[in-house]
Amino acid sequence: MASVTSPSGKSYAGGPSAVPAPALLTRPESFPLAEGSRPVPAVATLSPMKWLGVSGGLGTLALLVFVACLGFGTETISFANVTALLAQGPFAAGETQAAPHYIILWQVRVPRVLLAFMVGGSLAAVGASLQALLRNPLADPYVIGISSGAALGAAVAVLFGIGLSILGLSVLPFYAFLGALLALLIVYRIAVSYGSFSIHTLLLGGVVLNAIFSALILFLTTLADPYKASGMYAWLMGSLTGPDFPTVLVLAVYLLLGVAVLVSQASALNLLTLGEEAARSLGVEVERVKRVLFAAAALLTGSVVAFSGLIGFVGLIVPHAVRLVFGADHRLLLIASGMIGGIFLMLADTVARTLLSPTEIPVGVVTALVGGPVFLYLLVRQRRRVVA
Amino acid sequence: MSEYPETPTWQPPFVMDAVTFGFDRKETAVQTPVLKNVSLTIESGEVLGILGPNGSGKSTLLKVLMRILIPQQGRIELFGQSHVAFPQAEISRRVAFVPQETQQAFPFTISEMVLMGRYPHHNRTWGLGWEGSRDRAVAMQAMRDMDVAHLGVRLITNLSGGERQRAVIARALAQEPEILLLDEPTAFLDLHHQLEIARIIRRLNRERGLTVVLVSHDLNLASQYCDRLLLLREGEIVVMGSPEEVIAGESLERVYGCPVLVDRHPQSGRPRVTLPV
Repeated sequence: MASVTSPSGKSYAGGPSAVPAPALLTRPESFPLAEGSRPVPAVATLSPMKWLGVSGGLGTLALLVFVACLGFGTETISFANVTALLAQGPFAAGETQAAPHYIILWQVRVPRVLLAFMVGGSLAAVGASLQALLRNPLADPYVIGISSGAALGAAVAVLFGIGLSILGLSVLPFYAFLGALLALLIVYRIAVSYGSFSIHTLLLGGVVLNAIFSALILFLTTLADPYKASGMYAWLMGSLTGPDFPTVLVLAVYLLLGVAVLVSQASALNLLTLGEEAARSLGVEVERVKRVLFAAAALLTGSVVAFSGLIGFVGLIVPHAVRLVFGADHRLLLIASGMIGGIFLMLADTVARTLLSPTEIPVGVVTALVGGPVFLYLLVRQRRRVVA
Repeated sequence: MSEYPETPTWQPPFVMDAVTFGFDRKETAVQTPVLKNVSLTIESGEVLGILGPNGSGKSTLLKVLMRILIPQQGRIELFGQSHVAFPQAEISRRVAFVPQETQQAFPFTISEMVLMGRYPHHNRTWGLGWEGSRDRAVAMQAMRDMDVAHLGVRLITNLSGGERQRAVIARALAQEPEILLLDEPTAFLDLHHQLEIARIIRRLNRERGLTVVLVSHDLNLASQYCDRLLLLREGEIVVMGSPEEVIAGESLERVYGCPVLVDRHPQSGRPRVTLPV
């Protein structure tokens, strides 16, 4: 047994600031394992194998749905034709380049379905993170007013035309980010002001916040000229219409960054579901993690809203379904929600643009019609559980 | 024998020196403190019970020790080193905290919940923080110690109060702590489960040398199972000492503001409190 020469702590009594961050290396093995200790069975927890399997499977499924959705629209393209045209790549030369199906596929549908996947995935990942952060299974960026905040930020920028682009890049997401961040901080403040996080307080706060932001947006819209205003209304209802490739690529950078940050905090999110005090007692630097999560959630919501307006309920129903099937561990929940959220919105958008073709339904209408009833069902069930 | 040198026994787990804490903003917090000038030493291997009426600062004292709350004044030493200098995870590797209530809105399994106790031991510089085989072994033993191993695949949302409390203590044990802080571990439990939890805590203390600090409203349970008791009133220590000194003395009546009858437990001879008719 090694000996310890001096009680190291006593040598510096000069107050906290004088103490270098110590590492307690003199740690005894206070918890010796018994002979033949068995590990926790993998079946009860998330294992790396399961993570890989589910992520890979859902990724493949997303790819299949992506290709399938490309075929539908005002002009139907057969599956074989879609794969053949996809195989030629975006920069095909000569005759194929001028073929109508090639143009429809590469210039219209690929960017649009890609946008739907990214928007749906981001909303679902943000929803799952907000639910953990606010310890509320009904949190969703749309329901609790974060999306409206982002929309207000973007609307202010558009209607007053302030600094809309820097170096040719749209800075709309930046204003939407600021709006989302503001809304998130207000919602969080409402949530914590009741001591423990109450599900209904948060929803009520979200409803009021939504009403205020919507009123402000409508007020600003009436100030604007009619042409701008009608575009604004279409955008507010949630629309994935007409993105071009550069736009989608810029958005992809923002969204990948945001989702990567959320996933990097997955274990901390697991612990945050226990409450901030418990998370802190388990070694989570709660304040730092919260700042990172706020920033990432605002970035994702802001970018998504700036590009596609208000699309609701994806962030609510998708994580809920994923939890039921794959468990609550955020390391898988965020990835799986992202994939399934993307799949869900690709399908919803396909319905939106084919159901009344050639007229398009705003995709936000489709998600609200699917997600709204699910939300109400969950709300009633939640209440029953509290009563029981 | 372990490869680590022993923690010097002359370094008590906790020393609090004139600690003052208030919930308000900085300037006024010191004027309306929840903890007032608290100084105490927690000895290695003891079971210390913290008693006091509602709002006397018992839970706050635990949270200050866990550094969930940071005092405005005073100094806390953990094994002889200043509390404020540690990263949170370093504290969590040595001290575990069992909160009064655990609510969980999401369907984690018991195994996942207990494995969360391994968080402070993970290296999270990159990757998702997968649990290694040692993490799983430690968690499994903690679950067996708390008799929840058979519940491993059940969801935390579907457990009874007693099972959930045992699972939360298992999570605390999975941290491999040297000090266990418990906030009313037997509140909301029926008699059978109260006794069970109290005995388990006692056993962990005796067999593993775990230092235990527990907050309780149950004077008799505290008297039975604690080596020392501390009586708080309005954030100040009224008396600290053996159960005989604290329970049998007149300070109890003074603090709670009502007359009490004190006799002896028929088996242990420890002081026992009942209310007069």
